[in-house]
Amino acid sequence: MLLRGSGQHAGQTYDDRFAIDAKTDSGVPHARVLLDFAEACSALSADLADRREAVRNTLGEAALVDAAATIAIFQAVVKIADATGIPLEDAKAEISAAFRADLDLDAFVAE
Amino acid sequence: MPEIREDLGAAHARAWLRLAAPGAWQTGAEKVAIAAEARAALDCPACAQRKAALSPEQPIQAHAGLSGLDTALVDLIHRIRTDADRLTPAWFARVVPSILSVERYVETVGIIAEVTAVDSFMTAMGMPLWPLPAPLAGKLTGVRPKAAKLAGAWVPTVAPEDISTDDPEPVQAMYRNRSAANIHRALSLVPEAVNGFFDLDDAMYLPDALLRKFEEEPRAITHAQIELLAARVSALNRCLY
Repeated sequence: MLLRGSGQHAGQTYDDRFAIDAKTDSGVPHARVLLDFAEACSALSADLADRREAVRNTLGEAALVDAAATIAIFQAVVKIADATGIPLEDAKAEISAAFRADLDLDAFVAE
Repeated sequence: MPEIREDLGAAHARAWLRLAAPGAWQTGAEKVAIAAEARAALDCPACAQRKAALSPEQPIQAHAGLSGLDTALVDLIHRIRTDADRLTPAWFARVVPSILSVERYVETVGIIAEVTAVDSFMTAMGMPLWPLPAPLAGKLTGVRPKAAKLAGAWVPTVAPEDISTDDPEPVQAMYRNRSAANIHRALSLVPEAVNGFFDLDDAMYLPDALLRKFEEEPRAITHAQIELLAARVSALNRCLY
């Protein structure tokens, strides 16, 4: 939802299907190199060093640090959410209903 | 060595100091042992076996634990670290309070989260993990908000409007400069866990006040790029929230 807000501010429409289908062109600048890095970090895959260098070469050292920090903190945030069973806030659930249905995100709910 | 933002390095250092110090419900030694298990889980064959299993309830071999903690507690820590998206209310009801109290559980989740954040950053950057800190002696704080109650999450939480003026400072500080979003409430049974984790979050992600300030770009990547990464990592972890 914050990505949509960011897009509205910039006068852009980003395609948020990238969240579940990494091949989707989101429209966010340099998304491909960032998403490849995020996936390598999450999977601890053998190409992590190459993905890291791609971010560094494309966006610079400071951007690499901020991308790594964002990826890392969200690896942690999801554990808090999953381990405490917090629900989506009612307001967020309502405004994200169509978006969640489009992306089949409700399949992620613990039962 | 890569150049790390000063405020980011300082936030990581504060996280390690918090980890070493006695918490609300667990000693420094217990907290560092939890952190060691959270770290060990990534290389644990039993965790890999469970992650690959169709059901997380399928029997697995013994964990490659190294801390000397109770085996049931080791399983709980490893499971949160490596298979959190398949935790369920039924699992939670089995482990709390039979393995540990709900207060210790929430504190444990906070420790795992902070270690995950710092370690994941170092790994992402290709840098060696920080050695775990030596535990510090001292008294447990035992701070528990009076108004904590079950309100939709598996664990009791506190709403900002239920905090009273006679609650101690860690309780008062929980929602200072932060929204009442459920992710902020999740650990609120242990206020130090909220304050600690979101100290880290402010430096690694964005402070709450800047989340929707799209006209300001305080990082070297844009709001859109930050949210792109956040959304993709959440989806890779199969986390709806």
